[in-house]
Amino acid sequence: MEFDLFKIARYPFVEEAKKWVKNEKIEIHEVLNDPVYERARMRAVERVKEAMKYGIIKDTPLLNEIDCMMEIFSYPLARLIVASVESEYLIRRYALAEAKKAYENLKKEDSSFIQKIAMEFGMEVKDGVIHFSDYLKYAPTWDMKWKLINRVMEKGYVKLSNEEIARLIQEAIRSKIQNELFYMFPPPEINKIFGELIANLKNKLIAKEIKRAEGISEKDYPPCIKNLILAVKSGMNVPHVGRFTLVTFLNAIGASTEDILKIFSNSPDFNEEKTRYQIEHITGRISGTVYAVPKCATIRTWGLCHPDELCKRVNHPLFYYRLRRRKNELSKEKVL
Amino acid sequence: MNYLKKKFYEYYLKAEIEAPRRIERREFAFLFFNEDMMKRHISFKNKDWLLRYLKANVPAHVYYSSAYYGEPSANTMKEKKWMGADLIFDLDADHLPMAKKMTYEESLESVKEELKKLLSFLIDDFGFSEKDLSIYFSGGRGYHCHVHDRRVLDLGSQERREIVDYVTGRGIDYNHIVVERSIYGYGITKTIEISPSSPGWRGRIARAIISFLEEIKNMDREEAIKKLMSFEGIGKKVASDIYDGLDDNRMALIKEGKIDQMASIKRLLKPLMRELAVKLHSSTDEPVTADVKRLIRLPGSLHGKTGFRVSKVSIHALEDFNPLEDAIVFGDEMVSIKVTKPFKVKLKGEEFILKEGVTKVPEYLAVFAIARKFANIF
Repeated sequence: MEFDLFKIARYPFVEEAKKWVKNEKIEIHEVLNDPVYERARMRAVERVKEAMKYGIIKDTPLLNEIDCMMEIFSYPLARLIVASVESEYLIRRYALAEAKKAYENLKKEDSSFIQKIAMEFGMEVKDGVIHFSDYLKYAPTWDMKWKLINRVMEKGYVKLSNEEIARLIQEAIRSKIQNELFYMFPPPEINKIFGELIANLKNKLIAKEIKRAEGISEKDYPPCIKNLILAVKSGMNVPHVGRFTLVTFLNAIGASTEDILKIFSNSPDFNEEKTRYQIEHITGRISGTVYAVPKCATIRTWGLCHPDELCKRVNHPLFYYRLRRRKNELSKEKVL
Repeated sequence: MNYLKKKFYEYYLKAEIEAPRRIERREFAFLFFNEDMMKRHISFKNKDWLLRYLKANVPAHVYYSSAYYGEPSANTMKEKKWMGADLIFDLDADHLPMAKKMTYEESLESVKEELKKLLSFLIDDFGFSEKDLSIYFSGGRGYHCHVHDRRVLDLGSQERREIVDYVTGRGIDYNHIVVERSIYGYGITKTIEISPSSPGWRGRIARAIISFLEEIKNMDREEAIKKLMSFEGIGKKVASDIYDGLDDNRMALIKEGKIDQMASIKRLLKPLMRELAVKLHSSTDEPVTADVKRLIRLPGSLHGKTGFRVSKVSIHALEDFNPLEDAIVFGDEMVSIKVTKPFKVKLKGEEFILKEGVTKVPEYLAVFAIARKFANIF
């Protein structure tokens, strides 16, 4: 594959980038310490900060080869920083931010380039079609328009626009970066050089965690939700609509992706990546659409409703939860 | 040894059984006569060991895992180490809304129709080659279709669910199927463009609309309007408009996929589409196809509740396959049975009507009657 330096800088996760760095014969400690590479280090910090703050990394202008070089070096450095923070949340957020950045650029590329990148991720794309097995691995099928049935498929191949192929590649990139970072052990040197940023991020993430853990009261869940949780936790295969109900509900009362994932981790076909992706899709964290919690009538037609006395007074699981919570909080005050 | 078990034993002594692919990676499970507990987590190095087991234990039902495992005989999923799984479609008469009113024979025939629809989806849309598809009569009330294309083996449950949704039509969004076009002239005319030669659902729906409208055109007015009005949301006015509008010119345009009167035609889409979809499971049932670790009946084994063999059916011979003849393995030597519950069945082309009491019947019918618990050996 022949990518020029500018392309490598825009897509620093490609194999070609690794080769280029190798060819430059520059040692990691040089990039970490030599003042010449100060710009690369600053850009690395920027990458991580932007990922954390905005969920996407903005492009930097690339005017000459030096710009490209700094950009390319900043990518592995940013990864080392992220891995040093040792937060699953940050790894995920960063992986998604890099993937989104790539998508924004990729969708403007011509089809032969997109095809090449797709190939790097094991997807066979030719003439705007992709095999459905690859499609299913990366398509956000929670979204109606991405459901396989709403696609044009012939003889196993799904027709996609360049932009849509880029979207699948985004998911492939995200999952690749994330997996790599989970198994990365950065040298302790990183902690010295980027110590301030890393400590900062750690504090922020802890604060986030605490904020999240407060204020969820499991005992106040309506019976349908309690049943679903029980079923999922005991490893029963819960139908799609059940999972959907559960995720929308937990999200609505403020549970994080991590909290929700924990519940699903006992499911027999648990696939963390996939589940996380789906959760984040339903909760609008990656799709931009927050799906509403189904109302009681809907849950009833799905056969998931197991009402108790209080259920008679509500028509929506969230009302039940709020009602129960208020009651319990009032009684708590009385005791005190 | 009870009669049924003795007969099954005789069958397994001589049975030719095709072992599942990668037999050493599969879990086997058995149900025995007069036992409720399923014996699970058994694995066999090769076909010989499996056959030996069948002869020695004579199970009433034999199952194996659609999944391949690192340790198929381990007791927990985690220890089993999932490696992949065939894609299995289970078509059963129980899933058909009309099946309750049908005879056994009729219900099997209607499942076969569903199977044909499924095969068309799998071959035309999903592009599976016939050599990667195997079809079996389940020995009970339906058919199983196994897909062993290497590209589906590692698909997870969610991805499989998408495939199920595709063939069952779940989640279809007509706005993605039907392309609307506005023609500006005197006012705006909205038309649907949907080419019958399109691949996938789009073409299927187009062809269904066209053949439906052709059918309507060929009916007399009153009959056609009655038929159209049977659709939800179509009243007398709309029905007459549709019928009266179907002149030869209009019909020629429709055959090219240019369909106007969008609003009323759109009301036909849903019911027509429902006809095209494969009825794979009832609405309350969990789609088992999406399960990546389910158990299925072993081809060549006998179904303990009918005595029929789980039989391979070639795609090309599907039309001629008659389960109530081709899946019968027992002979026609006459046997005395005591019928405890009167029943009717057509086996090997012969209609049997049995009343309570002692009677002499061919062995294959005796096995069926006893397995169904309609009779005892006398």
